Amino acid sequence: MRKKLQALYVIWYREVLIYLRNSLKFFTSIFLPLLILIFFGTGLKTIFPTSVLHYDFAQFFFPGILALSVSVMAISSTMSIVWDREFGFLKEILVSPISRSYIVLGKILGATTTAILQGALILLTMPYLGINFNIPSFIKIILVIFLIGYGMASLGILFASRLKKMESFSILSQIIIAPMAFLSGAFFPIKNAPYWMITVAHYNPLTYSVDALRWVILSNSLSNEEILLMTTHSLPICLLFLLVFNIVITLLSVKMFKKLS
Amino acid sequence: MLSFSAKNIEENQNNISEIIQVENLKKKYNNTIAIDGISFSVKRGEVFGFLGPNGAGKTTTINILCTLVLPDSGLAYVNGYHVANESDSVRKSIGLVFQETILDNHLTAEENLYLYAMLYGISKKDFVIRKRELLKLCELWNKRKMKVETFSGGMKRRLELVRALIHWPQILFLDEPTVGLDPQTRKKIWDYIFTIRRKKDTTVFLTTQYLNEAEKCDRIAIIDDGKIVAVDTPENLKRMIGGDIIIFKTENNKQAEKEFRKKFPKYPIKWIGKELRIEVDNGDKFLPILVKAINQHITSMQLRQPTLEDVFLEITGRKIREETNGELEKEENNGFDISSFFTLFNLQKEEENKKQKKQ
Repeated sequence: MRKKLQALYVIWYREVLIYLRNSLKFFTSIFLPLLILIFFGTGLKTIFPTSVLHYDFAQFFFPGILALSVSVMAISSTMSIVWDREFGFLKEILVSPISRSYIVLGKILGATTTAILQGALILLTMPYLGINFNIPSFIKIILVIFLIGYGMASLGILFASRLKKMESFSILSQIIIAPMAFLSGAFFPIKNAPYWMITVAHYNPLTYSVDALRWVILSNSLSNEEILLMTTHSLPICLLFLLVFNIVITLLSVKMFKKLS
Repeated sequence: MLSFSAKNIEENQNNISEIIQVENLKKKYNNTIAIDGISFSVKRGEVFGFLGPNGAGKTTTINILCTLVLPDSGLAYVNGYHVANESDSVRKSIGLVFQETILDNHLTAEENLYLYAMLYGISKKDFVIRKRELLKLCELWNKRKMKVETFSGGMKRRLELVRALIHWPQILFLDEPTVGLDPQTRKKIWDYIFTIRRKKDTTVFLTTQYLNEAEKCDRIAIIDDGKIVAVDTPENLKRMIGGDIIIFKTENNKQAEKEFRKKFPKYPIKWIGKELRIEVDNGDKFLPILVKAINQHITSMQLRQPTLEDVFLEITGRKIREETNGELEKEENNGFDISSFFTLFNLQKEEENKKQKKQ
């Protein structure tokens, strides 16, 4: 058991170490979301003054962007599997006596960790955007980010087990990740969207991620009624959905990854 | 020295079990047959070479023995374990150096080793001892804190060798270990391989397309077109050719040929350009006899031993490096992959990637 945990740890460690060592990747991973938040957030604020919206636009915008950037980070981290496969490092891991499920778990947790690191850095901009937060809410937010990152990382593994080339990732992000992001409610409240959009959004894990983050981030700044205006699901439902989604996708990705070798 | 090692093997045969056993192994990729019913065995402690041209099935065989690829049919046991059913036990007993360089370039030499050692559950104490011993053996100790991206090709190979040995494997698999290296580095790699074998009693299974390297192995299997055409010690294989080769030239070759045919009807004689070539059992003893027997004035004479090139030529009817027709040993294409569509638009990108890979 100790050996298995050690192996799990090393896969996780390698993932995080490479993320931290690759300073360029590290920098770009937080640069884009910050850019969107500061310029978009501040700019759009002027179109929707508080008198129309009942709440500050930045408060609506921030959780969505956080959820999206964390998700994209988690998915693209797991794409290192494709990279590893192209360059062969995966072979080294596959011929070592570690069970496939531990490799998958290590990769997922590694990607989740990079997503949490990125999320935590983005959280530091909250005071600038006028969102109150304290230590307990910070911990809650990190926990939700963990749930989101974990699910998206597992989803990434599921895709990565099927991809042979790194280039396939860009097509993947266009066909799957982009629609998921647009339908997540991060950019506009899904509640007021046409019926078919709401139906699709019901099956979109990102909708639940964005809603969950809105509940935990804004609970200090806005009243429940105000948060209800911009979310589709309540917090317990979001958490339950994410939990079930994570378990199912993890099992699926382990199965797919085993097939890969 | 070569005959000495051959003797060693004969002794080993009696008291040491076979560490790799392969029986009628077959593997097909889509419609190409990669290996077609090969059988061989490797004895504990020997250096076993797999010699063959590109695409003969060498890498496929290694991949099967290393549990990366499942065979279609046939049996393969490594260290007494079945490669498909007991793959974990097989994985514990082997160390690998792949054809392509596989290292984390962002990390230092030491970190690369550490990550790998952790995969095998080696304790920190053991790791420190082994790291020191192996890095010193491969002369990388002073470079251990350097990032791998600053390493030369030869240094990377040596580091891979160290990494493959860090868990004290019983068998070391080397897939074309010296390909793309300069002759000096190549020789050094071989020195390390033999030192390791001597110190750790590790069995070494390697593939190569260099004949002079195959010569250094205790035994070699010649593989061509997915089939093993010969397995033996290099000396025995060369003996198949029929002893030594004498090439000589006289002032009147035609007359000399006639005289030779008359006096030694059992030896074949051939014209090679302006010289005569004969194959005899015992060249050094035959030389003086030949000189006495031929009445023509001999202008030059050369005695040489047959090389593996001669053997390969004899068995397969062609030279080993004659054809370089791509790689048969591609990865298995299982089902749907979006990339195949996408690569159409991304040829340029792909080329860039390849360039990076080469660097």
